[in-house]
Amino acid sequence: MEGDTWGISGPDFLGVFIFMAVVALAVAIAARQAVLRGGPSDGFATLDAQRAAYLNGGPQLAIYASLGFLRQAGAIGAGPGRMLVTTGPLPAGATPLDRAIHLAAARKISARGLRHVSGVERALATLRQSLEDAGLAATPAMRSRARLAGVLPLAAVEALGIVRIVAGVANGKPVGFLILATLAVSVALVVMLVVRVPLASAAGRRAIARLRRDNAHLAPSQSPAYATYGAAAAAMGVAVFGSAALFAADPAFAEEAELQRNVAASGASSGGGSGDGGSSSSCGGSSCGGGGGCGGGCGG
Amino acid sequence: MTEEYGVGIGWRPEIAGFVADLPGLRFVEVVAESVHDHGPVPEGLAALRARGVAVIPHGVKLSLGGAEPVDPARVAHLATVAAKLDAPLVSEHIAFVRAGGVEAGHLLPLPRTREAVDAVVANVARTAAELPVPIALEPIAAVFDWPDDELTEAAFLTAILERTGALLLLDIANVYANARNRGTDPLELLDALPLERIAYCHVAGGAEAAGVYHDTHTDPVPPPVLELVSALSARRRPPALLLERDGRYPPAEQLRAELDAIAAASGYPAVT
Amino acid sequence: MSGDLARRQADLVAALTSGAPVPPGFDAHLVGVARTALLRKRAGEVARAWPMLAASLGSEWQATFAAWAATRPTNGSFRDGFDLARSLRPLTGEAARELAEREAAWHYDGESPPTRRSRAATTARTWLLRLRSR
Repeated sequence: MEGDTWGISGPDFLGVFIFMAVVALAVAIAARQAVLRGGPSDGFATLDAQRAAYLNGGPQLAIYASLGFLRQAGAIGAGPGRMLVTTGPLPAGATPLDRAIHLAAARKISARGLRHVSGVERALATLRQSLEDAGLAATPAMRSRARLAGVLPLAAVEALGIVRIVAGVANGKPVGFLILATLAVSVALVVMLVVRVPLASAAGRRAIARLRRDNAHLAPSQSPAYATYGAAAAAMGVAVFGSAALFAADPAFAEEAELQRNVAASGASSGGGSGDGGSSSSCGGSSCGGGGGCGGGCGG
Repeated sequence: MTEEYGVGIGWRPEIAGFVADLPGLRFVEVVAESVHDHGPVPEGLAALRARGVAVIPHGVKLSLGGAEPVDPARVAHLATVAAKLDAPLVSEHIAFVRAGGVEAGHLLPLPRTREAVDAVVANVARTAAELPVPIALEPIAAVFDWPDDELTEAAFLTAILERTGALLLLDIANVYANARNRGTDPLELLDALPLERIAYCHVAGGAEAAGVYHDTHTDPVPPPVLELVSALSARRRPPALLLERDGRYPPAEQLRAELDAIAAASGYPAVT
Repeated sequence: MSGDLARRQADLVAALTSGAPVPPGFDAHLVGVARTALLRKRAGEVARAWPMLAASLGSEWQATFAAWAATRPTNGSFRDGFDLARSLRPLTGEAARELAEREAAWHYDGESPPTRRSRAATTARTWLLRLRSR
């Protein structure tokens, strides 16, 4: 038609533009995931509780896994002023992170302050490095590449849209729908810019999922008896099920030490989790096994 | 009669991981009311079944000793669970847990009267009619007795077992607790019971408080109970023995040691 | 005294759970021991169903629960804990949070057994809870 911007009609361009935007979004998501694919899946063989915790919930959860281990082993507790204190010697099987935390607690420290203790920072950095080396965690370079990969395709389409709008206005053509479409692309762009790039690679996430299945008996809903399973199991429970595991295992300690509740809440949503916890424990095997009737409401 | 399963342990979610790791385990028991009749079986139990471990549902809330007829819904639930778990038998208690519409919250002893025998026999008949497998009945530990007991404990239990045709779940810890609290000889009871009816035994720990021994299931198994296991095994070895632990779970080595002690006392192979 | 098993069983249960007098002929001391053991057992079960509530009372849990439950027969450990938690309001810390989360997930009028709210209702209420606690 006469006077079409760039010789393409409005509706034609809009159609192509929307198609390009959808393709760009798909490409962006796929490219992001491809960058984060990570190493071969046998990285699982090297995944102990602390590395799993780091992968699942970052440095904070690694610290909590260590606290779970030390607490179950009777090595730390919560003292006056909600500070961590030592209550026993460093147990066998302690990692460098455990040692650093135990040392800091001997000099008294808050759970929040642990993150900034130099020994703890060094141990955390070593954990992270080993995860990156195994292809289970994305390196900082990978993460920025992933973010870029998620943004560039959409940015290109956005630019095209803006150029067309300017040209269309200069040409005196209606640009209402085009503005709406470009706005939609802007929203997608902002989301891809802002959304957290996960620390774990796809291989890392698979490793965590496998660990969670293999350690299903440590789920907080099962009220695992850590006295039976041992201190190392406490670290694994926290690593795989988040800080909720600590709160379930030792609520008094978790509250006194002012630990954060929702670090890496996993599996069952935390909203339904406490409800499930209620019903499962009121009908739990052990509560009925003491040779006594449980009272109404259970089992038919 | 009942297959020889040897030494087993009560399955509890709290120690499911420990139970799963017992290499020689051939049977467990689970509280029937903790298994839902709709939906899948708890994962730990399903894994044990896949391994060929027998699972016995143990009811605690049917109240077979109640004067009121047993609730058909509870019987149906027990039957469903037995089928779901492909159980070789089920068990319940010679006790009551509710009366007058009020839940006692615990297993309560019956008067050892003919009227009570009739009540139990009637309820067991109602229950057994709906079950695909045999039922074993467990006598409980009583902190107090009724004022109008007509029969000895042995006579009371034997009457119930003979009239119902049910098997016996002999809780050796309960035998010990009752004898200790009443000042009687536990071996006398053993000698008067139909030992050939025993499907399996319970072994559990307890503690004394204010001069009374309580079968708590949250304490270690005391040596006299293990001695009773040996005494029973010398007379007629039971087909199976189950360690019952319900709380304050100790470190794994302690649980393993208890399982080994029961095996040693009864002459069965260790399952640890 | 025969032919009346139902009534006599009811009398015994009432003595053990509701503060009714010990029926004639029973050893009152031993029935008292059984009553105490029963309360202790219930306290353990409710603590398992309501861990934050029990932890918040620390060493006072047994005594507090026993005093509250002495004349209240059990309705199941979940409901018992619900009733006790509500009666102890205002709660603080994790105990308060535990009660609030369960109020959000369950509809309970104190008379009939608690029923779960719909997923949508639970999510909405839990969300509001988080906002308010910020």
